[in-house]
Amino acid sequence: MSGPERDAMLAAAAFMRVLREGLDTGLELPEALVRSTRVLPGSARRVLRRLDGRYTEDEWGFDEDFARAVEPLFDFLYDHWWRVHVSGMHNVPGHGRALLAGNHAGILPWDATMMSIAVLREHPLPRYPRFLVLDWAFELPWVSTAIRKVGGVVASPYNALRLLEDDELVAVFPEGVKGTGKPFSERYRLQRFGRGGFVELALRTGAPIVPVAVVGSEEIYPMLGQSSLAARVLRAPYFPLTPTFPWLGPLGAVPLPSKWRIEFCEPIPTAGYGAEAAEDRRLVLELSEQVRATIQQKIYENLVERRSAFV
Amino acid sequence: MPGRRVLITGAGSYIGSALARRLRQDPHVDHVAGLDMRPPADPLERETFIEADLRDPVISTLIPQEEVDTVVHNQIVRRPGPGMSTRTMHDINVIGTLQLLAACERSSSIRTIVIRGSAGIYGSEPQAPQFFREELARLYPLRTRFQRDVGEIENLFDTYARRHPHVVCTMLRYQPAIGPVLDTQVTRYLAAPVAPTYLGFDPRIQVVHEEDGLGALVAAVHRPVQGAVNVASPGTIGLSRMIRLVGRAPLPLAGPVFATATRALRRIGLPELSDDFMRLLRYGRAVDTTRLVHEIGYAPSYTTPSAVEEFAA
Repeated sequence: MSGPERDAMLAAAAFMRVLREGLDTGLELPEALVRSTRVLPGSARRVLRRLDGRYTEDEWGFDEDFARAVEPLFDFLYDHWWRVHVSGMHNVPGHGRALLAGNHAGILPWDATMMSIAVLREHPLPRYPRFLVLDWAFELPWVSTAIRKVGGVVASPYNALRLLEDDELVAVFPEGVKGTGKPFSERYRLQRFGRGGFVELALRTGAPIVPVAVVGSEEIYPMLGQSSLAARVLRAPYFPLTPTFPWLGPLGAVPLPSKWRIEFCEPIPTAGYGAEAAEDRRLVLELSEQVRATIQQKIYENLVERRSAFV
Repeated sequence: MPGRRVLITGAGSYIGSALARRLRQDPHVDHVAGLDMRPPADPLERETFIEADLRDPVISTLIPQEEVDTVVHNQIVRRPGPGMSTRTMHDINVIGTLQLLAACERSSSIRTIVIRGSAGIYGSEPQAPQFFREELARLYPLRTRFQRDVGEIENLFDTYARRHPHVVCTMLRYQPAIGPVLDTQVTRYLAAPVAPTYLGFDPRIQVVHEEDGLGALVAAVHRPVQGAVNVASPGTIGLSRMIRLVGRAPLPLAGPVFATATRALRRIGLPELSDDFMRLLRYGRAVDTTRLVHEIGYAPSYTTPSAVEEFAA
């Protein structure tokens, strides 16, 4: 019998022993059960605690226990599936408010997830970034719950403003659905950055903007076409057709193992302009263009350094 | 300086009579009058009790007689009682408010009106901001009957406020209330043996503890502000965590059969769920309480999680 299996058997035996002792000394069954969980390993205790509702969520619904529990999957994707290479982590502030602005691709928000894992693992002062997710995802069962529990919020300026005022690290994707819904042939060409709403938020709260270039996310779901009929039926912003989706059913949602590079670029300070500058259209568009140009240039640099997309 | 004279509608309800009791003990308050269709359980309050129906035009002669400076409108029905049709509920809510405000037009002594309204006006929407501020009331269409009622009440109140700039009109928008004594849709839902939930959804829920609900109402009488103010115990709690904390079992039902299944479950003792409540169970709702804390000056003593924990204990 191998090590972990033996540990599990021993824990189960100890649990039964303490439970019987408890019942023998006249405890009621529920109390005896609670008492005997003491001898279980930490993971089992956590599961039992969750069944009683004894865990914490913050006011945004972020659930750290849950985020930790799913981390092994994300770690696997980060280390072995996508072999993420990260640079420029010193550009991410260790505390206080900041806005990460990245390029968006890949239908499901894997890019946001990998950015979060990068900050958690590579930053000397790790923290969970909060990311803004296209609101359509919040109508979906399971997806909506999972996203909120790992720190996603509805992409609304009111949410971003409140998060920044709470001094959180907030990740946004200014391309929005235009980024994820573009065909494979236009990969790594940044789309229009909306009306620069993210710059307004940064100016209003004085948060520095950290441009983030993500390379690799474009190959995970190469979109060959779209079905406007299916999108209308599902009331989705678009319905992607990739080499595997929807032909393989849920398996089609398994992303391809491309090679990733994430570069955090030099922050653009905004505190010097003052909050009123958020209404200065010229400044907003200038800064927005500056962020876009930085990301686009860093994408090209990282594409060259990556050499091949998959190996 | 003479003390305040306050009229409370819906004085027979739990929160109405609790408010009357609090104000009676207050040295700055000279006179408290209660108005309701049913007399309050507490006999102390009968002396200044007016037994009348808000929908009855006779109140426009009764109310000016009391010469009050403050009116607290507390007769808004959130969930139809036993044997009450949705039509009656609409009448009490909208026609009642209309008659009350008409009576206030006739009474020149009024300086303050406080309405205990509902945060239901924001609705429960998947794309909604995670914390509604007061100015975001009309972001989405009003989808349910109760929401439209609340919308109409707010419209009537806004019109009144515009016509009477010297009267301070405070619209308190209450999140669903919870507490050991209260009987509300949430407490009924949590008291049932199983709690139906939407399969795959675990929304953020926000409640107001009954003590904070009352505290905010008292504070608003003392320090009214113009416009809408959210009332909630700060923070949120996931629906599934709330159900587990009170020791109930969630019963996940798929969205398309939810309404039918919960109606069938009423036969085995599950409470009736209103349209608003069903949307709340699917998408949740939370509000921002900055205005309550900083302008009315009431700091809630519970957070939403601690209010649920206390309810569970």
